[in-house]
Amino acid sequence: MQEMNSALGAGTPDGSVAPGARRGALRSTATLAQDYLVLVMIAVLVLITAAVEPKFLLRANLVNIMRQFGPLIMVSMGMTFVIIGGFIDLSVAGTINLVAVVTISLIQPLGQVPALLIGLAIGAVCGLLNAVVILSSGALTQAEALFLTFGMSTVFSAFALLYSHGSTMHFWDIEASKSVFEGIGGGNLGPLSVSFVMFLSCLVVLWIFQEKTVEGRYIRLTGGNKTAARLAGVNVSRAIVLIYTLCGFMTGVGAIVLFSRITTAAPVIGAGYETNAILAVVVGGTTLLGGKGSVVRTVMGVLLVILMSNCLDLLNVSTYLQVAVKGAILVLAIWLDNRKRV
Amino acid sequence: MEAAGADVILSIRDVCKTFPGVRALDGVSVDVKRGTVHGIVGENGAGKSTLMKILSGVYEKDSGTVHFDGQRIERTTPHQSMQSGLAIIYQELNLVNTMSVGENVFLGRFREMGGMRGTHARAREILDSIGCKVSTGRLVSELSVSEKQMVEIAKALSFQSKLIIMDEPSSSLTGEELVELAKIIQQLKEQGISIIYISHKLAEIFEFCDVVSVMRDGRIIDTKPKTAFTRNELIAKMVGRTIENEYPPRPQCVGAPLMEVRRINTRKLHDISFTLHRGEILGLVGLVGAGRTEIVRALFGADKVRGHEVLIDGKPVAIRTPQDAKAAGLGFIPEDRKLQGLVLPFSVEANISMASFKKFSRLGFIRKSIERAIAARQVKALKVKTPSARVPVRNLSGGNQQKCIVGRWLEISPRIFIMDEPTRGIDVGAKYEIYVLMKEIAERGGAIILISSELPEVLNMANRVLTIFEGRITGELLPEKASADEIMTSALGMGRGAA
Amino acid sequence: MTATAIGNSLFKVATKQKAFMAILVMLLGMVFSRTDFYTAYNLLDMLNSTSILLILAFGVTLTIISGGCDLSIGGILVVAGILAIKLLNVMPMWLSIVLAVAFGAVVGFVNGFLVVHQKTEPFIITLGMGLLLTGIAQQLTDAHPIPATNPDFMVIGNGDLHGVPNLVLIMLVCFGLSYALMRFTAFGRNLYAIGGDYEVARYSGIDVIRTKWLAFVISGAAAGLAGVLLSSKLNTGSPVYGETTALVVNCGVVVGGTSFAGGIGGIPQSALGLLVFGMLDNVMNMLGIASYYQVLLKGAVIVTIIWLDCFNQKVKREAV
Repeated sequence: MQEMNSALGAGTPDGSVAPGARRGALRSTATLAQDYLVLVMIAVLVLITAAVEPKFLLRANLVNIMRQFGPLIMVSMGMTFVIIGGFIDLSVAGTINLVAVVTISLIQPLGQVPALLIGLAIGAVCGLLNAVVILSSGALTQAEALFLTFGMSTVFSAFALLYSHGSTMHFWDIEASKSVFEGIGGGNLGPLSVSFVMFLSCLVVLWIFQEKTVEGRYIRLTGGNKTAARLAGVNVSRAIVLIYTLCGFMTGVGAIVLFSRITTAAPVIGAGYETNAILAVVVGGTTLLGGKGSVVRTVMGVLLVILMSNCLDLLNVSTYLQVAVKGAILVLAIWLDNRKRV
Repeated sequence: MEAAGADVILSIRDVCKTFPGVRALDGVSVDVKRGTVHGIVGENGAGKSTLMKILSGVYEKDSGTVHFDGQRIERTTPHQSMQSGLAIIYQELNLVNTMSVGENVFLGRFREMGGMRGTHARAREILDSIGCKVSTGRLVSELSVSEKQMVEIAKALSFQSKLIIMDEPSSSLTGEELVELAKIIQQLKEQGISIIYISHKLAEIFEFCDVVSVMRDGRIIDTKPKTAFTRNELIAKMVGRTIENEYPPRPQCVGAPLMEVRRINTRKLHDISFTLHRGEILGLVGLVGAGRTEIVRALFGADKVRGHEVLIDGKPVAIRTPQDAKAAGLGFIPEDRKLQGLVLPFSVEANISMASFKKFSRLGFIRKSIERAIAARQVKALKVKTPSARVPVRNLSGGNQQKCIVGRWLEISPRIFIMDEPTRGIDVGAKYEIYVLMKEIAERGGAIILISSELPEVLNMANRVLTIFEGRITGELLPEKASADEIMTSALGMGRGAA
Repeated sequence: MTATAIGNSLFKVATKQKAFMAILVMLLGMVFSRTDFYTAYNLLDMLNSTSILLILAFGVTLTIISGGCDLSIGGILVVAGILAIKLLNVMPMWLSIVLAVAFGAVVGFVNGFLVVHQKTEPFIITLGMGLLLTGIAQQLTDAHPIPATNPDFMVIGNGDLHGVPNLVLIMLVCFGLSYALMRFTAFGRNLYAIGGDYEVARYSGIDVIRTKWLAFVISGAAAGLAGVLLSSKLNTGSPVYGETTALVVNCGVVVGGTSFAGGIGGIPQSALGLLVFGMLDNVMNMLGIASYYQVLLKGAVIVTIIWLDCFNQKVKREAV
């Protein structure tokens, strides 16, 4: 076959791997480099900070880092799925607000376990609402999803404000047992904190979902090429419902970890989580274009973000400048991510 | 190189253009004389639009020369081409839908026209000169196709064009609008403007043109004054091609009816009904835009179409989504493999396995080993040339990419296999392999609906052909008995079944 | 005409002229509840509070019409305002204002580079830019609003000319300029072409890259100006207005009829869209609606309008 093809003369390429292959090889080296780049950056950051500020290696500091993992990592892991599916979710801040104020308020009347379950359910419902809005409007692009979920965030936050009458609730106001939440917020299971164990178990479950299940693959295919996925028989609508509901649920988990840790729930505690989560996902190497990515990468991204905050804190860099740095990194990461496509 | 005569406005010599896998132009040579209407006929894929795009500067030729108005043309852009006096009116019109008529005529030349007032005033003049009454303030999106065409003509005139190329201008025009177009062409001719008229519609070619060139397989086969051609001769030259061992023997196993389709009606399609038999390869033949793809998309549930009936084995089946179609035993190879068929950054393996999840998953979990085996099996069976199944499918050549899509569906053995341009942009060797595949599918009792713009392909592979023209079925022919000419005639709406 | 036909065409009008309908609804509602809405005082006051957002909208409209969007305007707004105030201490007022606006233009230039030259998706990269700037703003002020030292500065944002607030006048001038730019200049018309069909525009010889890039620069400069005016009005440089402003303004522009698809809409439409939000705020205050309900209503309005925009496009897409 090969000989016949080349015998047909100039202009007829043989059926073997086309010139695109060479480009492809270069491209995968770039992706590989980028994967390791994040790890390398983490390592470099750790080394530099440890050298400059030995306090970094103190057990208390490391425990602190582990603790900080809680809320952001949960939200970011949920966000990963939305982005792999080719969309985006800007409503996580509102969801956190709503879940936090409702859950904490229900501990006294209903008991902590029902309150916990209701909180998680609210997170999932918020996500489901997002999916419904997006599906019914026929929104296909990330830009449309961005604005729709931003609107939903405002709505969720408004509900949080209305429900709580704008007031903050503290653990010390509640007489009923809050042991579960206190455990989540500050307890330990052996050498590890409860929130770290929670994170690990979620990571395992989500990774299995992402890599090993059919639905996980459907989500990837939807993000890779919606049209082709649909024509191959993939239920794209169901994939969209899944990614948003999952993100909502994980955001609910994150909200619970958050207010458990700081033992208060104000209707504004979710502020900034959406940008941090997106930053973590992008920095971790999951492309905004969809189809590719992993929760594991996101964990690395969150680690990098948290380490960076920690290091900058120890180096006495103001929080505000840190926000600026985050913005700069986001811009840089997206720019580089885009160059990979072109 | 002999100098073109002063009466020749466009001289093309030995122009070649190759795209990966396809030799689109294979040494085109033709002269267009000043002040004539020069028709170019040829079937889909003959190379007409590639040639036009080279002339207008969208593509660059690989070799050969082009002389326009005495100047040699090399490396030009669409804008420069317009400015030098060569205008093209594409089949897919080149207008900004969201802007007004006047602004479209002078797109990019706002300042030179002296702002809005000047733009609209001058546009008005030009439109009046061709008898077009459309108001210059109307949005292009609101216009009919014929009105849009007039805007394009006005645009061409605004550049003082010496040569206007019209690519399938009448494909969407009514009888009355066609009369208007005829008048305009006559007018332009009287003004000394030369016209190249590309069309399938032989009636118009004979009516409007002075000279006709026939294009086939990337070459101009013949150029003669229209009076020297008969219609049959034209069709024969458009289609004629010696067919050697490019195709396997036609499968001869047509059996009992398998699927019946009744009354598909949409904006474009009118009352489409047909039957498909076991072991049959049914070809849908027609011009670009006739509605072939719309028919199969409606069948497959890819478009939101209601009100029609589909019966498989005599039982009615509701197909509203591609999932329904899949469950009913249909498979679909879409027209645009890159945009609609493949997930380019994903591996060959993932692309092949993406329709057969039921086979390699249990309780919702993927069994990687089975997935790998499926992919390996298809790669081997279809002889997909790839270093490994884990390579991104975008690295493969067109033919091999197409094989991945075929393999994807083969894995679940659809009883009804829809293939929309399955061999487009594929080298000859891979084409043969796909034809053999089609034969095997038919021999195993499956049925294939084949859409192809390459008439020889349909003639050699299909047991039966339905010709589609302007959304209607205009003929049902058997390639074994009917000639290529008859089929082409029917596809052009001129056969016995024509309205 | 049957009832369904009438219903259908009304639906079409309602979804197309959403801003107009929204305003009409509010105006009618006000006739029946609080007629002191219709005083010159109230209307001017409403216009005054919306002026800064309107100026932002005029700049952003350019980017949206050309097919992009600019979510960094909130960040530019705050940094420019703070910059103006800080520079007041060391240089004449006019210079600090010019530099603040120039800062906006520079940021716009960077945005243009990333979006047009590098062909990055505009929405999230400008969001990131906005975040970056917000952080810088907070850093510059240490999160405390810093007061202006020059009393004349306050006059710009708070004074009036024969009863018409300065801000409204400045806004009207900006309106006029941007309207003229979009309607009567080659630059403006080319932006429409680029947004309407990038390739057709390119083939017609329009310098698509330079033109679209300039749209971002102007958007940045407009945000810079808005920042100066806001600082002047509040007489402090405050980092508060950051992220949500950008999203609200972009949404407002879409509400008015400028679609994200590009090529459609214009300055008057954007003005109308922002006025919906301005009027909504004013109306809700007059009706004594509790502030949390106001937030809810606003969010619901945003979702509904964008939903309608998407739905329209879906219907067009799926028409067979």
